[in-house]
Amino acid sequence: MSSRKKALLKVIILGDSGVGKTSLMNQFVNKKFSNQYKATIGADFLTKEVIVDDRIVTMQIWDTAGQERFQSLGVAFYRGADCCVLVFDVTAPNTFKSLESWRDEFLIQASPRDPDNFPFVILGNKIDLDNRAVSAKRAQQWCQSKNDIPYFETSAKEAVNVELAFQTIARNALAQETEAELYNEFPDQIKLNANDNGRNRDGDNCAC
Amino acid sequence: MASTSKDVPAVVIQDNPPDDLEPGACHDSILNPTDSFEEFASEMSSSLQERNISLATKSSTISEIQSEIGENSAPMKPTKSSDDLQTKDESISASTSNSNLTEQNGDDTDTEKDDYLQSPELVNKEKHVFILSSAGKPIYSRYGNEDKLAGLCGVIQALVSVVEEQNQDILRSISTNDCKAVFLVKGPLILVAVSKSDESETQLVLQLTYAFNQIVSVLTLTQLNRIFEQRRNYDLRRLLSGAERLIDHLLIFMEKDPAFLLGAVRCLPLPEKARENITNAIQTTCNKIRDLVFAIMLAGNQLITLVRMKKYTLHPSDIHLLFNLVRSSESFKTAESWTPICLPKFDSTGFLHGHVSYISEDCQACLLLLTVQRDAFFPLSQAKHTIADKLRRSNCLVAINDALNRNEELPTTNPLKHIGIPEIRHFMYKCKSTAQLFTSDPISLDKLQDYRLRHKEGGDIMEKKVEKLSDIDYVRNYRKFCSSIHCTSTPAKLIFRSNSCDTILAWVTNGFELYVTFDPLMEKDQAIKAVDRLLKWIKKEEQRIFIMHAPTF
Ligand SMILES: Nc1nc2c(ncn2[C@@H]2O[C@H](COP(=O)(O)OP(=O)(O)O)[C@@H](O)[C@H]2O)c(=O)[nH]1
Ligand SMILES: [Mg+2]
Repeated sequence: MSSRKKALLKVIILGDSGVGKTSLMNQFVNKKFSNQYKATIGADFLTKEVIVDDRIVTMQIWDTAGQERFQSLGVAFYRGADCCVLVFDVTAPNTFKSLESWRDEFLIQASPRDPDNFPFVILGNKIDLDNRAVSAKRAQQWCQSKNDIPYFETSAKEAVNVELAFQTIARNALAQETEAELYNEFPDQIKLNANDNGRNRDGDNCAC
Repeated sequence: MASTSKDVPAVVIQDNPPDDLEPGACHDSILNPTDSFEEFASEMSSSLQERNISLATKSSTISEIQSEIGENSAPMKPTKSSDDLQTKDESISASTSNSNLTEQNGDDTDTEKDDYLQSPELVNKEKHVFILSSAGKPIYSRYGNEDKLAGLCGVIQALVSVVEEQNQDILRSISTNDCKAVFLVKGPLILVAVSKSDESETQLVLQLTYAFNQIVSVLTLTQLNRIFEQRRNYDLRRLLSGAERLIDHLLIFMEKDPAFLLGAVRCLPLPEKARENITNAIQTTCNKIRDLVFAIMLAGNQLITLVRMKKYTLHPSDIHLLFNLVRSSESFKTAESWTPICLPKFDSTGFLHGHVSYISEDCQACLLLLTVQRDAFFPLSQAKHTIADKLRRSNCLVAINDALNRNEELPTTNPLKHIGIPEIRHFMYKCKSTAQLFTSDPISLDKLQDYRLRHKEGGDIMEKKVEKLSDIDYVRNYRKFCSSIHCTSTPAKLIFRSNSCDTILAWVTNGFELYVTFDPLMEKDQAIKAVDRLLKWIKKEEQRIFIMHAPTF
């Protein structure tokens, strides 16, 4: 099946306003950002194709609109996300402290099936600036304490680690998908029907 | 142009339905009588909460049958009391929640648009259809590559959600000067049509509903819901690979065949005796097969006969899906097939199992034997061969081929010539009680052949005028008359419109719907006289044109 080779990942970028989320996306997708839809629907979208282990993966990246805390989409924004990218600004300690609540917010709103293993990635952005205030060590420690979330130090401005970070995001999200596949949650059509019949019979037994 | 709506002086007069039965009517029907617009009438007027419960589990007809034929010893009790879609229209009109946004026109000077949206495979199409998951992941696009439309799908999901979550309302449509976008949220899916055609919002909703039902037909509603309950990020394309083709065909089919517009089924015109023989052959052969629910014979998107288990009838829309399945599956031609089929109106929760095969190499009629038994291939295969032999011996195959090849000698091949009313150019007639349809120029097989060629191509807006109108063009012209007649607030009974291009009469009674195109500038009396003769002819030929019996096993 050729469609097995294709995949589409919904990626959400969260973090305080001004940490560089939009810039990171632009850097990755290599586009001047258009702000096409932000004002109307409180979100914007970019897509990019990447290749991961010879699979073509389309990343559908969801960016919030400016007023992050009040973003209007609510649950719909988070629904069915495959990966969540949390961004902070290494020169602004407050934005680092917020990570915890962004993560919680995501887990509450998206309520993924297996929250402990949901793929997050943390990006400490703006490492090109001199006035750094959050050390790499501190960030790494926090990531470790959260079930070993991968951590990258990036600069959207100078294109440091951006490509690598997004590659990892795609890879980790895909890994999750294949894992779920192994458990084979959905038997194929015909088998499902067999299950249906089986269930009916069970129902009968109960009714007796 | 054949007609412009500006010059439509709609005349509305009271009709007096004739006392005797209208042409094509009979006391028992194999099909559920429908008003094709009833469904979207209820769809359009449902509120957010109603929508959320409307897809809850219905009782399963299939398990009902299984228990009746003793498959299960005790009668099945559905776990949830049924919230039947049919009864839903009673609760309508509670709220007319309509978020009909009008375009504010993107005066954002952000010129950098997504390039792909401007690519030749997407621009200038008359109608787009997009299907996505409620997470905003693309599932299907009629044109182009849905992967590359992931951004657009995000926007669609966000639009739908903003209206839903902020305004507690439903986004139904967005209109711009030359284009309308119609939205339908069904269970875990969002379906969108973006159209520059003159189809009404309700007609577009109907098409989206069909597309949804096509997906249900492949997966069952139960499975579809379960998948997204378990994993909201699921990429449904993985389960639908191969079904994309079915949706492609269905969308083209719907634009061409008025059967969809009218919620009716075309029958292959056959001599009464021939149809009787075919039905008999099926009945006598299948009488003893306990689990058989429906035996359906069809050819060229027309129904030849349908024999059914007592108590169960089929909805025209389920038949349309079967037509579409047969039409778009080349593989049925080369081998007997055994395939699970869910008929959403009949039972959206489970599969029937279908033995599907063409009657013989020299006859393009296809026989579907649908059962609730999972492993009945061999007995049904046996039955098929017996039926085929019987049909050959009784010359039924010849009769079918004559009809399919549109033998000149048959009155139904060229009805207008046969009727002898030269001023009539085209007509289509639906008998409401039996949900059957007859048109003066049935879409021929060869015209449908180009379905395949047009796959994923074509669909561009055409400027050129055609000299000779085809069935499809006439039907296009009827669309807006059809809308006025089915308009829920002020339905018209009779519309007469005459201008220098043509004259169109649309008439609906309790028993039938009739659409006729005449020469230009006809007087009303004249037209009504002609219609009278037309109805007499249909009545005279009804046994040939329609299926007038509702045989059971
Ligand atoms: N020096 C530097 N500035 C950055 C970097 N990334 C973003 N910025 C700047 O930070 C500001 C906010 O960036 P933006 O992408 O809009 O942040 P958002 O609110 O998280 O989307 C802008 O002025 C950017 O130019 C970076 O890596 N280095
Ligand atoms: Mg931003």
